[in-house]
Amino acid sequence: MFSLLNIRVGWFLAWRQIRRSSVWTTSLIIFVMLLTFLNLVVVTGILVGLVQGITDLYRLQETGDVIVSTLDTKNYIEQSPQIISFIQTLPQVEHVTARYIVNGSIEANYKTRTDPNEKPNESGAAIVGIDPVAENAFSGIARNVEEGSFLAPGDFDSVVVGSQLIAKYSFGEIPGIRPLKNVGPGSVVRITVNGQTREVVIKGILIDKANSPLSSQVFMSAAQLRTLAGRDDYSVNQVAIRLKKGVDEVAFKDLLVRSGVGRFAKVQTFEQAIPNGVEDVKNTFAVLGNAISSVGLVVASITIFIVIFINALTRRKFIGILKGIGISPQAIEVAYLLQSMFYALVGSSIGLIILFGFLVPYISAHPINLPISNTVLVAPVGETLLRVVLLVLATLIAGYIPARMIVKKNTLDSILGRN
Amino acid sequence: MAALIETKKLVKAYKSGDGVSTILKGIDFSVERGEFVSIMGRSGAGKSTLMYQMSLLDEPTSGDISIDGTNTRHMSEKEKAAFRLRKFGFVFQDYALMPELTATENIVLPLLMESYTFTQAQAMAADALTRVGLGHRLHNVPSQLSGGEQQRVSIARAIAEQPEILFADEPTANLDRESAKVVIDLFLELHAHGQTIIMVTHEEEYGHVADRIIRLDEGSIVSIEKGVRHAHARKQPTKKQSKK
Repeated sequence: MFSLLNIRVGWFLAWRQIRRSSVWTTSLIIFVMLLTFLNLVVVTGILVGLVQGITDLYRLQETGDVIVSTLDTKNYIEQSPQIISFIQTLPQVEHVTARYIVNGSIEANYKTRTDPNEKPNESGAAIVGIDPVAENAFSGIARNVEEGSFLAPGDFDSVVVGSQLIAKYSFGEIPGIRPLKNVGPGSVVRITVNGQTREVVIKGILIDKANSPLSSQVFMSAAQLRTLAGRDDYSVNQVAIRLKKGVDEVAFKDLLVRSGVGRFAKVQTFEQAIPNGVEDVKNTFAVLGNAISSVGLVVASITIFIVIFINALTRRKFIGILKGIGISPQAIEVAYLLQSMFYALVGSSIGLIILFGFLVPYISAHPINLPISNTVLVAPVGETLLRVVLLVLATLIAGYIPARMIVKKNTLDSILGRN
Repeated sequence: MAALIETKKLVKAYKSGDGVSTILKGIDFSVERGEFVSIMGRSGAGKSTLMYQMSLLDEPTSGDISIDGTNTRHMSEKEKAAFRLRKFGFVFQDYALMPELTATENIVLPLLMESYTFTQAQAMAADALTRVGLGHRLHNVPSQLSGGEQQRVSIARAIAEQPEILFADEPTANLDRESAKVVIDLFLELHAHGQTIIMVTHEEEYGHVADRIIRLDEGSIVSIEKGVRHAHARKQPTKKQSKK
């Protein structure tokens, strides 16, 4: 079928039919192809980007590029000061922050509670001790303080609290957390850690997405938490590392492990540290996106089928004459295949320009603000090109079937318009 | 002269409701090389059907058709298509030009199928259009041409490769008198150069210009008459004939 002669004659016919057909009709078909392509890429890309937004948030606020954390068999990282000092000397490192993390509780309105049977305005929380300057340099956490202000160096008896712990900002109850009522910046609350209780003032409230790791934590100065938790050996629970641009996190992780850090702590890249479920959700959304997009693919195929069918049907007589004067049926079919391919390729090409020239960079710079994450558009080049191939293939099949249906009709019947 | 086309007991029948309608009832007939034959008859006489059988556009129900000594009965559809491409030229009543192609491109298309290069095909198309008096209309699409001009493009397409046989199905039926005369004059000129022409027409005035007139009625030949041009001199054979 695809002999050079048939392709040559088919191309001659196809190109002239495209060039001299109505600009509006051609534009409309290309527009449908463009929308189909964008539907194929953007729906999946946004769904995956939704989860990518969560992942990015974890990477930004919690794990950094590489995270060193407590071994499963220990309560804290042994040799923490030496490990932190070693990491800080490495040239690949841009920022480091060390965190003390303990389980505790936060209670409000305990002074005004008169009824001993009344349920305390209290919640469990992860109490995180940080160096405010290092933590802010690492994640820009201060930007998330929308009420009150962030901790300053030397702040004592002050905390900033995640939004999920404050009823006013909470997205709803999550297991183990009961948002505190009637509190805000300036409220006095009680922090209890290891049976030690300390009265502190809420200095600020961290407001972010429901999935933000900041949302259910209470931050205080590392010095105060060390005292409260009796952690006087300076052993921290986490060391999060942000690497300089271009540094490979896997190679850096391996370097830390080889350097002996692995004997005292778990060393993970951000991908390893992110909860397993996140990757599963990402894959699930990708499948869902593909399923939704495939409907668009079917619609595009039907559009091309109809366009080619009507085109071929209205030209049935001409097709008959072409066959009559000796043009091979295959060359005529190739002409329709090439037309279908033209529509799909032009639509996809415009789609690629819009996607990589505008949508991806724009949404990357201005993520879509959805309740669970700042969503970006994920469109890996390889997968996107695969979708172009899919669209072209679907279009070719959709174009070939009607062309074949008309071309295979009896030549004389076509010429005479007989059924 | 040797017969270029010969039909023997040619029958064409169609199913018609519960019965069978026989359009051609055993036609025995031959056309000699270089002859100009008109097939005439009233509407429904079977003249177009006869032409479709002879030009291998349709399959007879029974009987044989030999073209240049080759019996076409057992030819596949592909072989017939190749035969039509190489040996025949067609002129249809409604011109049958591709609307998106210019006059030149309409002629170039079948030539490309014959493996000519694009440049060769363009030159041949320009030559053919010049022969039919349309050297100034090379780049016009059919909608920019009059009916007569479109029919001349159709003739140019048919003769571009100097076919052995030119089949014309009611070539003047859609034309005004003046354009029809131009078309007939073209046929006569081609015929004068040795072109074999088989023309189906119901117009007496144009049918009589042929060497012979075959009259059909109800699927049978009722008469074979000599036309006014019977003794017309043939100057030279066509290119394909001279190749043989």
